[in-house]
Amino acid sequence: MAFRLFASHLRRAVRSQFACHFRQNIGLVAPVTSRGISQQAEFDLSPFRYHLLDEVFPKTSVATRDEMLSYYRDMVTIRRMEDDSFALYRDKLIRGFLHLYNGQEACCVGMEASIRPDDEVITAYRAHGWTYTRGVPVKEIMAELTGRTGGCAKGKGGSMHMYAQNFYGGNGIVGAQVPLGAGIAFAIQYRGEDRICVALYGDGAANQGQVFEAFNMAKLWNLPVLFVVENNNFGMGTSAERASAVTAYYTRGDYIPGFQVNGMDVLAVKEATKWAADYCRSGKGPLLMELDTYRYYGHSMSDPGTRSVFSYLVGHTFCVVSHCLCFVKLSWKRRCPNCKETTRSYSIMQGSHP
Amino acid sequence: MARTCHLMRILLTCVLLLCCTCVGKDRVFNTPLSEQGIAGFGIGLATAGATAIAEIQFADYVYPAFDQLVNEAAKYRYRSGNMFNCGRLTIRMPCGAVGHGAHYHSQSPEAYFAHTPGLKVVIPRSPIQTKGLLLASIRDNNPVVFMEPKVLYRLAEEQVPVADYEILLSTAEVIREGSDVTMVAWGKQLYVLHEVCDMAKDQLGVSCELIDLRTILPWDQDTVCKSVCKTGRLLVSHEAPLTQGFAAEVVSTVQAECFLHLEAPAARVCGWDTPFPHIFEPFYVPDKWRCFEAVKRITSY
Repeated sequence: MAFRLFASHLRRAVRSQFACHFRQNIGLVAPVTSRGISQQAEFDLSPFRYHLLDEVFPKTSVATRDEMLSYYRDMVTIRRMEDDSFALYRDKLIRGFLHLYNGQEACCVGMEASIRPDDEVITAYRAHGWTYTRGVPVKEIMAELTGRTGGCAKGKGGSMHMYAQNFYGGNGIVGAQVPLGAGIAFAIQYRGEDRICVALYGDGAANQGQVFEAFNMAKLWNLPVLFVVENNNFGMGTSAERASAVTAYYTRGDYIPGFQVNGMDVLAVKEATKWAADYCRSGKGPLLMELDTYRYYGHSMSDPGTRSVFSYLVGHTFCVVSHCLCFVKLSWKRRCPNCKETTRSYSIMQGSHP
Repeated sequence: MARTCHLMRILLTCVLLLCCTCVGKDRVFNTPLSEQGIAGFGIGLATAGATAIAEIQFADYVYPAFDQLVNEAAKYRYRSGNMFNCGRLTIRMPCGAVGHGAHYHSQSPEAYFAHTPGLKVVIPRSPIQTKGLLLASIRDNNPVVFMEPKVLYRLAEEQVPVADYEILLSTAEVIREGSDVTMVAWGKQLYVLHEVCDMAKDQLGVSCELIDLRTILPWDQDTVCKSVCKTGRLLVSHEAPLTQGFAAEVVSTVQAECFLHLEAPAARVCGWDTPFPHIFEPFYVPDKWRCFEAVKRITSY
């Protein structure tokens, strides 16, 4: 008990020292005890929200040092890969379209930690992170981006159309991949396999009619599909509130049970996905998972996030104090008006630098 | 008459901003990301008597709305015996290759809509044409699909009259008079053929007549047929794939009307029958060299 208190004090002290963009309790990787260094630690998870479900997720998660390091390595690799793609695009070595995944790394890394390599995944065009976690080496991803035959789609697809074993892309048309995901899940069910299909889409796509058609078919036939909304709160430049009558996307499945996870908390994503994957795999039907996340760049390179549409975000940040977490305008005092703690986190517009 | 220089893009942005500031945000507004919803919504508005101008962000995304346009918009007047119609609907969308668009930001779907009686399809080539054709389309009492070649947003620049004017729909314009070959195109492809006309004049001594179709459906058959009867040779060019592209319709009508006047088979220089490519775009689009080859072929038949 004393150790837990000590660790939490240590966490707060450490966190206020380091600029942290993740508004969640990431905690220390390896709390030092009086007897030496531990190989694992227990972390508090961000709170979940449920729709047609009881509170089924654990409040804490135990992770080993190696696991955490591998998540960190994967997330940083994706972050650096995206930043370098940004630079290559500016140098005109990548042409066409480029939708960067900065900020959303915890979504794919956390989910991949809990699904099996032979589960199917299909997503939209913000696909580089998923392409990496599905096993495509960075070299092949960059080759695909630069249009070379060494790319995972032989250079013919580009940024938006990357494919791999058990990864159906990489789809350009908004929302079109969701019925496809339901179809893949039906193929799995038809063959009697115990795999699932993870069908991802965004908050903008959540208003597409075909998504609801897919929901209906999935629930009607109890398909083993996990629908995932990567809600980064913006559809291009339009905020979710201006496009959707209901922004609680995890409830939009209506008759499909849903839940919301803090998409910036890799352990929360991992734990939630583990439960959800088991649920779908056991034949209980589809689920709708909302990942509350954020992208640090604009929608694509045609809208890199430095124009006036994001101007109200400049000079704002999240207060990193765990019981506060409010979105505040940075003042010269760097003091959060809500909890009165002094914060040293960077502006949200500098989010690409850890 | 006062004239102002407008880039096509600035023209359209100004139109939009003017709309926003003059008529208010309740009349010019964003919609959620649902093309089928946008089209159906616009059709309903138009049927109820309001002027509806709907925008689809790229022509490549119009396919969810295709059912609404083809089954509802195009057939409303006919199926209700003229009791209802959605003539006050105009749907605008950027179309065509842009250099880096790849599969889903480069398509030209005019052929799909041209196959639908009840719709009108209009494609302008320049800022002056855009203003006249757009105003005519909005005021036309039929649902109009207005496709704007997106590459011209940044490239086309003209002195556009500030007064109100319309350009008659279903009229083609002879941009350049000639006597040996009739070239028919629309949108951005006209600029390519314009260059080919010069090349043909310099290198082959061939005088080409260039016609801008402007309205794809219903298209001006008289102008084109009259021209082919004069020249005896036809070349039609567009970016959309060759098979079942609109060039096929032009060519088959011309051969039916002007058969005995034709000196050579009509040539179609179009995109290849593949999805619009990402890295192979320079090979895909009907550039001036392919068009020039076709001119050489039909003049030396």
